[in-house]
Amino acid sequence: MLKMTHLSKVYRTEVVETYALRDFNIDVKEGEFVAVTGPSGSGKTTFLTIAGLLETFTGGEYHLDNIEVSNLDDNARSKIRNEKIGFIFQAFNLIPDLNVFDNVEVPLRYRGMKAPERKERIMGALERVGLASRAKHYPAELSGGQQQRVAIARALAGSPRLLLADEPTGNLDTQMARGVLELLEEIHREGATIVMVTHDPELAARAQRNVHIIDGQVVDLAEDPRFHTAYTAAAGQVRG
Amino acid sequence: MQIKPILAALRHHKAGTLLIAAQIALTLAIVCNALFIIHARLVRLHQPSGIDEASLLVIGNQWAGKPGSDQMASLMAADLDTLRKVPGVANVYATNTFPLGNGGMALGVSHSPDKLKSVTTSGIYFADENALATLGLKLVEGRNFRPDEIGQLDRQGYVKPDVVIITRALAALMFPQRSAIGQPIYISAKPSIVIGIVDELRTPWVDTSFAKWADYSTLIPYRELTPIVQYIVRVQPGQLDEVMHRVRAALYAANRLRVISPKDGVRSFAQVREQAYRDDRGMAILMSGISVILLLITGAGIVGLTSFWVGQRRKQIGVRRALGATRHDILSYFLTENLLIAVGGVVLGGVLAIGLNLWLMKQFELDRLAPGYLLAGVVTLLLLGQGAVLAPALRASRVPPVEATRSI
Repeated sequence: MLKMTHLSKVYRTEVVETYALRDFNIDVKEGEFVAVTGPSGSGKTTFLTIAGLLETFTGGEYHLDNIEVSNLDDNARSKIRNEKIGFIFQAFNLIPDLNVFDNVEVPLRYRGMKAPERKERIMGALERVGLASRAKHYPAELSGGQQQRVAIARALAGSPRLLLADEPTGNLDTQMARGVLELLEEIHREGATIVMVTHDPELAARAQRNVHIIDGQVVDLAEDPRFHTAYTAAAGQVRG
Repeated sequence: MQIKPILAALRHHKAGTLLIAAQIALTLAIVCNALFIIHARLVRLHQPSGIDEASLLVIGNQWAGKPGSDQMASLMAADLDTLRKVPGVANVYATNTFPLGNGGMALGVSHSPDKLKSVTTSGIYFADENALATLGLKLVEGRNFRPDEIGQLDRQGYVKPDVVIITRALAALMFPQRSAIGQPIYISAKPSIVIGIVDELRTPWVDTSFAKWADYSTLIPYRELTPIVQYIVRVQPGQLDEVMHRVRAALYAANRLRVISPKDGVRSFAQVREQAYRDDRGMAILMSGISVILLLITGAGIVGLTSFWVGQRRKQIGVRRALGATRHDILSYFLTENLLIAVGGVVLGGVLAIGLNLWLMKQFELDRLAPGYLLAGVVTLLLLGQGAVLAPALRASRVPPVEATRSI
């Protein structure tokens, strides 16, 4: 579903080159629920933005749903984002001027879908996240957890092949975070492929597989002696 | 189309939306009325007078030394002789006024001596047997004045011509069912027989308040014996400039007891026309300037507000891009948003424009606003809006999708 091979992302200024990702390799199979963890500045978000075609990369290869995306133009990338990827952001990123229904409708409109089908999908997605009764509410009238559920409904409405979640519970309190996480697990059980970037070890532990990024590279904490202590401690916390 | 969500979003930006719509409305109301007035003025600038302006000079002569009537008659006859002998002069006659002269005599014209029953007012031109040929007027019916019909009128005299030549428009008004030739009309207590009809000759006044009877001119066979006289000189083709210099010298050589203003004593009709419509031209320029400034202010307002909105919604644009919007989708979002505001503005502006026109009609006797001007104004404002929003909209379309992941 998502395969990056020797991928690199370099930010260049006049005086310095900074590698956000270096020789980055990852392979996410269809139906997997993968948590991507790592310290701040490790490259997690860069990975997610490249995975979501929000940014281009500097070198290497990236296949998304068997499509090599490096040579796609802006319109083709927009189309793939619209049809194959669902985004869940830490800050929810709902459009404050639009009500819940219209927010969920945004990606479907860009797909050129007819109104009756849009309505059916929107209401289906809202029912799925338990917010059908709030369709006419504006984001400001909802709690953080509800807003994130709307964002999940927006991501689900287009039936994407891949869900990318960036710290989906980062702005929520524990109870709301638990609700959102359970929803993601449910969606995964129904067959969705989910890649979730998180700081939260508890959240990461709920995923099927963990991928750790350090200094722009995927590392196996268990195998790498440099991080062995830290990994054991982190694993201990999770297990505890 | 994204009209519904755009309208929904605009409801959350009421102040800016209403401000721009109101600005567009006011601009439309003012600009299309201004365009209407400008066009009306420009049309007037080129309104034909009925005479062969390109070949004509007018000389304003004032006698010095207070000559008597008899003396003035002989002085005038001598001047006409002098002018005829100037090389390049084709014809000449003396008169009280001329088209575009903005002054002269106007009399009521009726079918009876009763002044109260006048059919219309007519501009009166003093003329002689050379007037038609000099002015280049086309006689469409009847005949010209004969030399023996030309009378003289001093300051104490009254206009009571035996015969008159009138314009086709006046003839049609007075005698709609039959030829005017041989028919009497009354511009005094005495009947004047219509002996000739000329195709077109506008009255001397250019002001719109005289417009109703601007085509109703009457030529009467008189020379006016007053200290101020106008000589109308027809020049041979291509000699206007040379003759302008020669006539002044020739008249002063013949008799120095006169004043011909060095500034505008001898004028071509191009100069006469320019002076006659100076106010109209000034008004057209002023109105154009105001219109351009208003359009610029409105355009700047749209650019400013849209730039502000783009800045404010940068993250939102990034989110839309992340959710699949192409650059074109973002561009068309802002263009459509502006179009919706502008359409609201022009609908309101159309009503205001008609209201303003009705007020101007009442206050200044302006004509009814032609729909074409409203349409032109609407198209101008809509295009202005789209043009003004283009740069900020293009900037918005370049917001990258990764903006969605940035925290501020």
